[in-house]
Amino acid sequence: MSERLTGAPGRSTLSLHKLGVFCGLAAALWLGTAEAPTKLVNAGFSPFLISMGMVMGAFVARWTVPTLLKGTGFLFQDLRAKPHLIVWALLAGMLWAIANTLTIFAVRNVGLAIAFPLWNTNSLVGLFWGWLLFKELRGSGIKGWSKVLGGAAAILGGAAVLAVATARQSDAPGKATIGIVAALGAGVLLGTMYIPYRKAYISGMNPLSFVTIFTFGELGTILTVGAIFFGGFGNVVAELHRARPMLFWPFLGGFCWVIGDLFQNFAAKYIGIGRGIPLSNTNQLWGLAWGALVFSELSGLTLSGKLLIFAGSGIMIAGAVSISMAAPAEAEMANWKQAMDRECDRYGLDPQQVKAVVDGDDPLAGQPHARRWWEVLIVCVAVGIFVWLGLGTQSQHLSVSMPWMIVLVLATIVPLGVCGTLLWRRTRFS
Amino acid sequence: MKRSTLIAILSDVHLWVPVAVLILGTILLMTLR
Repeated sequence: MSERLTGAPGRSTLSLHKLGVFCGLAAALWLGTAEAPTKLVNAGFSPFLISMGMVMGAFVARWTVPTLLKGTGFLFQDLRAKPHLIVWALLAGMLWAIANTLTIFAVRNVGLAIAFPLWNTNSLVGLFWGWLLFKELRGSGIKGWSKVLGGAAAILGGAAVLAVATARQSDAPGKATIGIVAALGAGVLLGTMYIPYRKAYISGMNPLSFVTIFTFGELGTILTVGAIFFGGFGNVVAELHRARPMLFWPFLGGFCWVIGDLFQNFAAKYIGIGRGIPLSNTNQLWGLAWGALVFSELSGLTLSGKLLIFAGSGIMIAGAVSISMAAPAEAEMANWKQAMDRECDRYGLDPQQVKAVVDGDDPLAGQPHARRWWEVLIVCVAVGIFVWLGLGTQSQHLSVSMPWMIVLVLATIVPLGVCGTLLWRRTRFS
Repeated sequence: MKRSTLIAILSDVHLWVPVAVLILGTILLMTLR
């Protein structure tokens, strides 16, 4: 495992396990924060429309962030070297879009409180696929299994306790069976979505390239589903036009979501899906922090409710700590390598180069890539879209706690800088 | 894309597991709708 403890010459010597854990926690923070802007949307819009706005914001951000960080030259070079993975990146985007629509059905029918922990089972599904298809956790021994499986179970249990504590805040109309089936279905789809993630990273693909393609599957599917639901593409456009005054907020949520998802992808790359996904699933804590501290959503909560929230949060944090301490042993690393070798044999990849990329030392990452004129255009268009949406946004008359908002914004941005710097110093974003 | 790569993709269990789940998920979504 020694090769995973040190980077290339001139790079940070941070272990990849620690880096992956930091990425998983940063992912949770940003995925949780992504919920905050959507809370600023007044009632009267379909949750599906808000979700579609988030996907469109994510589409804009997914092209912009990788372009800013690595440039299109690097991304195209990476994709040309592993063209077969385009299929899996599109597939992952499609899985996410269907899963996300199912979560809307779940929330409508059983409320967020019951639906959230049910679709959070995706971490257990991901853990299962990681074990079955990518040999994750094999050879880790009882201690390793206990830490990871126990940690994942604790995070799921903590989510359930938090859900019970906040249950009265959610309206849970009938049709419970539909809601539960939809939530469990979303959990299976989201958990399965991590198969393409892991496959891409043990094949040496850069997470930034992966998410750039992912977004086409995601946007194409959500627009198709939208056209089916609203009775034609023209109706989708009309609904989006009607929602114009509030679209900035889901777009901003989509932007935050992309940052979180990028960290989640790096976590999946460096510590596997069995460990990375449960860690990023602690996002419920941050969503709760925004709701409780900034939007005063839990102001009327009883003492027992508050105690339940503390207990649920504590259980979730304990689960995250347990997984953080479960660094893979030598025997498990040998199994990870077997999974990597399978991809190299099957798709004719260079094992030495793939190993270097998997270890965070992509030889291409250190090379300068010429910047293209269209990269400036991409960034300008993205910024222009956000400014245009921002200018047309109507003020949302919601009471927010500014001091807490400043604290949470800082608590979100500082880890972005810290984790981004760690990723750059150790891997050059490879 | 080379023919051998295409065959490798189409015979890969890593493809068919997510595809099967995607089909089932889409059927579920359309049923619930």
